[in-house]
Order: sequence, then C-alpha cells, then structure tokens
Amino acid sequence: MEPWNFQPARDLSLSPGDRVQSLRREVGLVGAASCLAWRWLTRIYLTAAHRLEIHGRENLPSRAPFVLVANHGSHLDALILAAAMPVRQVGRVFPIAAGDTFFTKKATSLFATAFMNALPIWRKKCGAHSLDDLRARLVGDACIYILFPEGTRTRTGEMTRFKSGLGRIVAGTSVPIVPCYLDGAWRALPPNRSMPQAGKITLRIGQPLAFESATNDREGWNAVADATENAVRELSPN
Amino acid sequence: MDAISTQRLFGFRHAFDSPVTLGITIAVVAVLVIAFAAIWLLHAAGRTDAKLHDELVKRVRSWAIMTPLLIGPVLLGAAWTIAAVALLSVLCYREFARATGFFRERGLSAVVVASIAVLTFAIADHWYDLFVAVPPLAMVLIAITAILRDEPHGYIQRVGLGAIGFLLFGVCIGHLGYMANDADYRPIVLLLIVTVELNDIFAYIAGKTLGHRKLTPNTSPNKTIGGALGALVLTTALVASLGHFVFKGTPLDGPVALLGLGLIVSIAGQFGDLMLSSIKRDIGIKDMGVLIPGHGGLLDRFDSLILAAPAVFHYVQYLRGFGLDQPARIFSGGS
Repeated sequence: MEPWNFQPARDLSLSPGDRVQSLRREVGLVGAASCLAWRWLTRIYLTAAHRLEIHGRENLPSRAPFVLVANHGSHLDALILAAAMPVRQVGRVFPIAAGDTFFTKKATSLFATAFMNALPIWRKKCGAHSLDDLRARLVGDACIYILFPEGTRTRTGEMTRFKSGLGRIVAGTSVPIVPCYLDGAWRALPPNRSMPQAGKITLRIGQPLAFESATNDREGWNAVADATENAVRELSPN
Repeated sequence: MDAISTQRLFGFRHAFDSPVTLGITIAVVAVLVIAFAAIWLLHAAGRTDAKLHDELVKRVRSWAIMTPLLIGPVLLGAAWTIAAVALLSVLCYREFARATGFFRERGLSAVVVASIAVLTFAIADHWYDLFVAVPPLAMVLIAITAILRDEPHGYIQRVGLGAIGFLLFGVCIGHLGYMANDADYRPIVLLLIVTVELNDIFAYIAGKTLGHRKLTPNTSPNKTIGGALGALVLTTALVASLGHFVFKGTPLDGPVALLGLGLIVSIAGQFGDLMLSSIKRDIGIKDMGVLIPGHGGLLDRFDSLILAAPAVFHYVQYLRGFGLDQPARIFSGGS
C-alpha cells in the first residue's frame, strides 16, 4: 500500500505576527471567506462607482499557476485584478505588494493579508532569495500572482519600464504570464489623491505569454520583462 | 425555554453547589500560585539558569492563562461550557487540518466545520438522537463532497482525513460538551479535565524517577513503562477517591466501578497522548502549532482529552446516565 502524502501548511511553525509578513502564508476557511467577502464588496463598488468593464476574460488560463501583470497607476489596481479572478481561485490569488508601503504598520498589513491575501516584497532590500521563494511557491502551490513590474505607481499616467524581477520569478518555468492593461484607474485614484473619484475603468486581459524557453539568468529575465512590457503596451488603447 | 434548563445553562450562582467543584477550583489555583512561587524561589536562590527560568515561566504562564479559560466556562454555566468545547473542537480540527494539509480541501473542510456546528446544536439542545445521528450523516456528506471534484486520485485520503478530523476533534471532544446536559455536570467535567492533565504530569514525574524501559521508542522516545505504570496507579487512585464524592449515591459509587473509571481515565489519557505523537511522527512535524507558548499547539496540550472524553462519557452513561432528569430538546421542542 502506498503511504499517504501529507503536506503541512507551509507556515505551520510561524507565530501569527510572522505569518502576516511571510511569503509562506497559506489561508484556510476563514481567510478564504474574508477574501471572498472583500471580493464581493469591491465588485459592487467597482461596478457602481467605476462601471468596471472587463474584456478578454476568455484569455485567463483555466488552471493556476499563472502571473497577472499590469500597468500600475493606482491603489485600485490590485483590487480590480483580484476581483476579476474567478471565485473558485479565491485564496490562491496573491497580490505582490510593496512591503515598505503595506507591511510596516499593523493595520495596513492586517488589511492587506486578511482581505487581499497580499504577499510582501521589500523594494529596498529585495533580495534574490525572496524572488526565488516566490518562484518556488508559484510553481509548487499553483498560485496566481498579481504583479506590477514597474515597481511603483506611475506619477504621470505614462507606463514606465518593467523591472527584470518579473523574469526572475517565471523565466524557464511553464507558468504563463497574462498581460493586462488598466485604463482609467490612474485618473480615478492617482498617487497624489487619497480618495478615489468616480470614473470609468476598463480592464483588458491579453493572451497568455509562455517563457519556458527563456533562460533563468539576467539575459533571460530582461527578455521576459521586455516581452511582457510590449504585450501590455499593445493592449493600451493609445 | 424552561426554568430548569435556564438555570443549568446560565445559572452561575450554582457554580459551587458541589463541594468537589469548590475543592478542585481551589486546588488548581493553589497549585498555580505555588508553581509561580517555586519558580521565583529557585531563581532567587540561583538554582535555575536564565534559560531554564524563562522556559519554566513561559510554561506556567501559559497554564495560568489556560486554566481560567478551561475552568471559567464550566463554572459559569452549561451554555459557556458547550460553547468552549465547540471552540476547542474547531481549533483542534484546524490544527489537524493545517498539519495534514487537509485544509486545502476547502469544500470538505467546510463540511467538517458545519458538522461540528450541527453537533454543537445537538449538544446544546440536549437532543441525544441528533447527537448520535450527526457522525454517520457527516460521513455521508464527506463521502459525497469528495466525489464532486471528479478526481478519484487521493479520494480515500481526502475522505479518510475528513472522517478522522470530524470523529476525533468534533465527536470525541464533543462528548465533553454533552456532559454539560447533566444538572450536576460541573464536578464531573472538572474531574475529567483535571485528572487527565494530572495523568500527563504523573507520567512525566514517575518516568523521571522510576522509568527505565522505553514504552514506545518509535512513537514517543521519552515515555517509559515506569512512567506509564506510575501514572496508572496515581491517576486511578485520585479519580477513584474524588469520584466517590462526585458520584455519591449512584451505581458508580462502588470500589470496582470507581477503579474502572480511574483506569479508563488513565489509559485513554495516555493513549490519547501517544495517538497525537503517532500523528505527528507520521506527518513528520514536531509540534501541531504555536498557539500556546512553551507547549506548542492546542493539540499538543489537550491530546489526552480526545480519547478519554468519549470513553468516560459512555462508561458513566451506562452506569449512571447523563441529564436523565433534565428537559430534552430545549430549543427544538418535541420529545
């Protein structure tokens, strides 16, 4: 008889405080329920205040893992992409959020983890190993990452260059990148505003890109970042 | 709701109706105070180094927090007792699910938690027929839910883990809550909790002093036959003598019946401990969680109660009965 296969929660031995900050965090029933409730609330808000339109839903791979990548202009971006994911993926969707913005205060990190299931990435000291951890987890756990490779919100409304860290997470794996373009989010809530204003937002989901043949080195990472950046630009209306 | 049930559920003024309840409560508080004093004295006399001292303080502090959480609800009333047991069930199940990876099966996990909720209703309602019906019906639901994903690979493991999780942490622990349907539940529940925990401590002390031969070296290398036998003798004696006062005037109040109760507490308690060790060894982890500093997870502390609760319940149920004079189905009505 073949022995049973146990895979304990990756964060089993972490205290609640460490769990919040950890890239190994896994949610159960409670976490999934709170993310689901939050997903409903954001969908209601986005439909009512921003008449959110989503094009290209059919381009989403039917199975995780994959990485959603979009231009970044607003704090609404991650909310929109997370709310656009199918219900059955709740708990498997992880927005990769800036640690220095969302994980330095108790209240914001609690919100980011309890309702958004966000994982922190530390921009100043973003070590190679945390990207490698993200890469290992993406493949091993069939996750969906939401990632903004510009590294920060655009201040001008113009999309900036993609950083190569994205490549470091997916180059050489069979995990597809799904390029998306967000139109209107920057106008609704640019970095210099604290409250959003009503206004139409459109999300375009492009066809998945495969980087199985990309090499897992600096050259390959840059190639992944450049190709993804072009794919996102092509989705932009102007 | 009728007046009798209201008193049982919420009548905290009856907390110390039984002298045994008062005795156990005072003894437990006294032991905690003495433990703190002893640790402080040892430290002041320089007999414990800083590391050992911190470890001892952490352990006893955890006990000082856990004790009121355990005894408080029992004293306050049956409603609090049942709620506390339900919470214990869910938290123990959560640790089990996270340790085995079963928590990733969210649909099945939801079925287990919902079954624990229905079981808790049956307990609070004092509806024995439903209490007995929930385990097989939960099994039916688990077996069905596990099919829905249309992925036969791993089916037996999914159903098996769900069934084990619900039976051990929902049903077995739930028996502790069902005891609260007796008018005189306080001394019985306290007797069980306190002697099961002392059973662990007796085994530890007896093992340190007269333990040589290993009991189950593969399962739990630190346990010795001497420790197990020492705990068996001490716990049986303690349960039998306290039980004499708890069960005065019932068929349980005879030397044979009381010794039987003591043996059940000690044996089921020790095997509960070994069961959790086996589970942990099988998975390959050291602790089930981090909830209780110095102890590990909740299950690492309350493992001994899991098998003892149903064993003691049905022994007492057979000889004496629980809540026979109490109104049944107090919320759902009917008879």
